[in-house]
Amino acid sequence: MNRRDLLALGAAAGAAALLPAPALSQAANRVLRFVPQANLANFDPIWGTQFVVRNASMMVWDTLYGIDNTFTPRRQMVESEEVSADGLTWTFRLRPNLRWHDGEPVRAQDCVASLERWMVRDGMGQMIRALRQELVAVDDRSFRLRLSAPYPKMLLALGKNNTPIAFMMPERIARTDPFQQITEYVGSGPMRFNRAEWVPGARATFSRFEQYVPRDEPPNWLAGGKRMLVDRVEWIIQPDPATASAALQQGEVDWWETPLNDLIPVMRRNRNIRIEVADPLGNVGCLRFNHLHPPFNDPRARQAVAWVVNQPDFMRAVVGGDDALWKQMNGFFTPETPNYTEAGAEILSRPRDPAMARRLLQEAGYSGQPVTMLVAQDLAPLSAMGQVANAALRAIGMNVDFVATDWGTVGARRASREPRERGGWNIFFTWFAGADCTNPASYLGLRAHGDGAWFGWPNDPAIEAGRDKWFAARNAAEEKAACEEINRAACQSLPFVPTGFYRAYQAWRSNVNGIVSGPLPWFWGVSKS
Amino acid sequence: MWAYIVRRVLATIPVMAVVALFVFSLLYIAPGDPAAVIAGDQATPEDVERIRASLGLDRPYLVRFADWLWDILNGDLGTSIFTNLPVSTMIAQRIEPTLSLMVVTILLAVSVAVPLGVVAAWKQGTLADRAVMGFAVLGFSVPVFVVGYVLAFVFALELDWLPVQGYTPISQGFLPWIENLILPAIALGTVYIALIARITRATMLEVLSQDYIRTARAKGVGQRAILFLHALKNAAVPIVTVIGIGIALLIGGAVVTESVFAIPGLGRLTVDAILRRDYPVIQGVVLLFSFVYVLVNLVIDLLYTLFDPRIRY
Repeated sequence: MNRRDLLALGAAAGAAALLPAPALSQAANRVLRFVPQANLANFDPIWGTQFVVRNASMMVWDTLYGIDNTFTPRRQMVESEEVSADGLTWTFRLRPNLRWHDGEPVRAQDCVASLERWMVRDGMGQMIRALRQELVAVDDRSFRLRLSAPYPKMLLALGKNNTPIAFMMPERIARTDPFQQITEYVGSGPMRFNRAEWVPGARATFSRFEQYVPRDEPPNWLAGGKRMLVDRVEWIIQPDPATASAALQQGEVDWWETPLNDLIPVMRRNRNIRIEVADPLGNVGCLRFNHLHPPFNDPRARQAVAWVVNQPDFMRAVVGGDDALWKQMNGFFTPETPNYTEAGAEILSRPRDPAMARRLLQEAGYSGQPVTMLVAQDLAPLSAMGQVANAALRAIGMNVDFVATDWGTVGARRASREPRERGGWNIFFTWFAGADCTNPASYLGLRAHGDGAWFGWPNDPAIEAGRDKWFAARNAAEEKAACEEINRAACQSLPFVPTGFYRAYQAWRSNVNGIVSGPLPWFWGVSKS
Repeated sequence: MWAYIVRRVLATIPVMAVVALFVFSLLYIAPGDPAAVIAGDQATPEDVERIRASLGLDRPYLVRFADWLWDILNGDLGTSIFTNLPVSTMIAQRIEPTLSLMVVTILLAVSVAVPLGVVAAWKQGTLADRAVMGFAVLGFSVPVFVVGYVLAFVFALELDWLPVQGYTPISQGFLPWIENLILPAIALGTVYIALIARITRATMLEVLSQDYIRTARAKGVGQRAILFLHALKNAAVPIVTVIGIGIALLIGGAVVTESVFAIPGLGRLTVDAILRRDYPVIQGVVLLFSFVYVLVNLVIDLLYTLFDPRIRY
C-alpha cells in the first residue's frame, strides 16, 4: 500500500460514517473529467468559431436539427416541418416541453432571433439570408421562413456540425450583435454551463440539466436522444501533452480528446487506457497559395508545387510512423465519404514529377524570386508540413523564404493582400476538419470567388459553378456529379494542394463507456463504471 | 526611514509608467491579430475585419494607449478580448496558485540552499563541498521542465506518492494543497537552490576569512555559533539580494512549471494570453509582475537594515 492509498483509506473511513457506502463510488462515477483539444477561452459559438467552443456549446445549446453518422439531418428540437410545394415556404414546429436552463419555455421567437444571428456569420446561413423574404414566429411553437427561391439544403444548414452551428438561444441573448460576444450562457441543451466555476485556461464545468427532455430515438452524433449519464462534466485544460498523458495514466482525468501521437505507444502499455481513432472524418492537410501575387497567380506555378507534394512524406511528418492514421487523397473531398472523387486528379495521383514541376515553373516565368512561406511552429502538424514543403520546393529550385513563426502571427499575416515584400505572403499551411470537407457547403478552402474567397483569394468560375450545382442538387447522384465537376476544376486551378488525409487518436480510461467516434466528442451516452 | 519608503514608493510611479508605455508599444508593434484568432481558421477576411473593428483594434495607437492609460489610472485593467471577463477577475482567479507556488518554492529553496551553502563553505574543498557545488551546476544546467518531467515520472507515475498535475486551493485543506505543490516547488526551486547555495558559499567563504572570525575562534567560540551567529548574519546582505533578484527567475520559471504541472496560475495565463494576443490580459499581468518586482526590491532594500546596522536610509 502506498501513501496515497493510505490517505484515501483514511479519508474514506471517515466519510463512510456519514455516507451510505454505494454513494461513495456513485459520486465519483457521476463526474466525467475531460481534457479538451484546447482552452475554452470564450463561450459564444456564433462569435468565436473555434472547434473547442463548438464542442462545449454542443452540451449547452440545442439545435433544430442534427446530422447523424450518414450525414443526414434529423429532427432535434423540431417536432415537424412543412415545406410548400414550390419549396419557398418552410414552417417548423418545436417539440413540446422544451425549456431553457433558467426554466423559461423555449419559444418560436427565440428560434427566430437565434437564426437571425447565426445567418450573419455562417456561410449557408448567409445564403438563406440572401433568399429570405420573411422569418417570423407564427405562434409560441411554430415559425415560418419564406424564401425567394428554393433552398434544398435547408435542413442540412440547420443541422450541420460545421462551425458556426445554428444553436438556439433565448431571444434576449440571441439579439446580441453577431460580432459581439454574448455575456449570458443560457441554453436548452442537456448540460448547464457553470459560469461561476469557469476559469479560462484552466477548467470549465457543466452540470446536468434535469428538465432536459431527450428525444426517444437512440443517440447518433447530433441526432437522437441526448441522454446524459453523468451529472457533471469537468473540462480540465492541459497545455502540456506529457502531463495530460501522465494524468490519464494515473486516473486523474478520464478522457483525453487529442493525445499526442508520440505518446500513444506509452499509453498503449497501460491496460487501463483505451485508444481509438477520434474522428473517422479526420483532417485534410492544406498547402495554401496566395493567388494574388507572383509566382502563384499563375496556375502553372501552383501545378508545379502540386507535382512535388508527396503526400506520404507530409503525412509521416505529421502523424509519425503509424501508417494506419493517414491516407493518400487523390481529390479534394474527405476520403471514404459519399462525395469523395478522384475525377481529374492525375496531378495528385500520378507519380511525383520534379522535372515536370521545373518545366512548369519555367513556363510560368519563375526566375528565383523569393517565395514567402508562413510556417506556424506552435502547431506540430503545420510545422511538419512546412519543413517537408520547404525541402520539396527548394529541390525544384524555388527560393523559399521560410518564415518560422506562431499561429497568431500566421492568422494575422495571411489576411494581408499585399505582396510579400510589403508584409504579404505566398504560402501558408493549415488543415481542414474532414467533416467540413465532405461537401462544398462548409468547405471554405474550396471556394474560388476571388475577393470574397477564403485567404489566398482564388478565382475559378468553374469551381463556383460546380458548387452552385451541388446546392441545387436534389439527390445524391446529382450531388456526386457536382462534386466531380468541382474536383476536376480544382485539380486544374488548385486553390490549394491537399497534403494528405490524416486521423488522430483519442484516449480514455477503460472504466468510461459509451464513447463514440465522430467529428467532435459527444458527451451524451457516456458513463463511468 | 519613513521618508525613504515614501520616496521609493513614489519612485515606482515613473517606473510603472515606463513599463506601461513599453508593454503597450511592444504589443502594438508585435505581429499577430486577436481578431484573426477569435474568428477562427474558417473565417473570411471580412469577418476578421468586423471583429477587429468591434474590439476597437482598428483605432490609432495614441487613442488606444490614451484610453488604456486612463482606465488604468481609474483602477480598471480592462476586459479580456477573448473571455469577456475583467482582467482583474482573471488575475484574481489565478493569483492564489502562483502565490502559493512561489511562497512554497522560496521557503523550500531558502531552507535547503542556505544550509547547503554554509556547509559547503565550512567544509571547503571536501567531498561535501564538491557535492553541493556539483548539485549547483546541475541545478543551473537542467531546464525546469526536464526536472518537472523527471519528478512527475518518478514520484507520481512510478511511486504514486503525489498527484501528477493540478492545484487544490488551500481553502480545501492544507494536505491536498501542499500535495499538489511539492513537485512543482521542487522543480521550480532547483535552479533557485543552486543560485542561493552558490552565493551563500561564496559570501560565507569571504566572511569566514575575516579577522573578526579569527578573533572569535581564538576566543573559543564554537563552530556552530561562528557559522550561524557571526558569519551568516554578516553574509546575509548579498544572500538576501540574490533571493530578491531570484524572484524574477521564479516568475519566469513559474510560466514553465505551471504548464508542466497544469497549475492554473498567472504564468499560464500570461502564456495563453500571448499566444492569443489577448492584449489587455498581457498588459495587466506584465504590469502586475513589474509592480511585484519593484515592491520586492524595496522590501529587500529595507531588509538590509535588519542585517547590517551600518546601513541607514
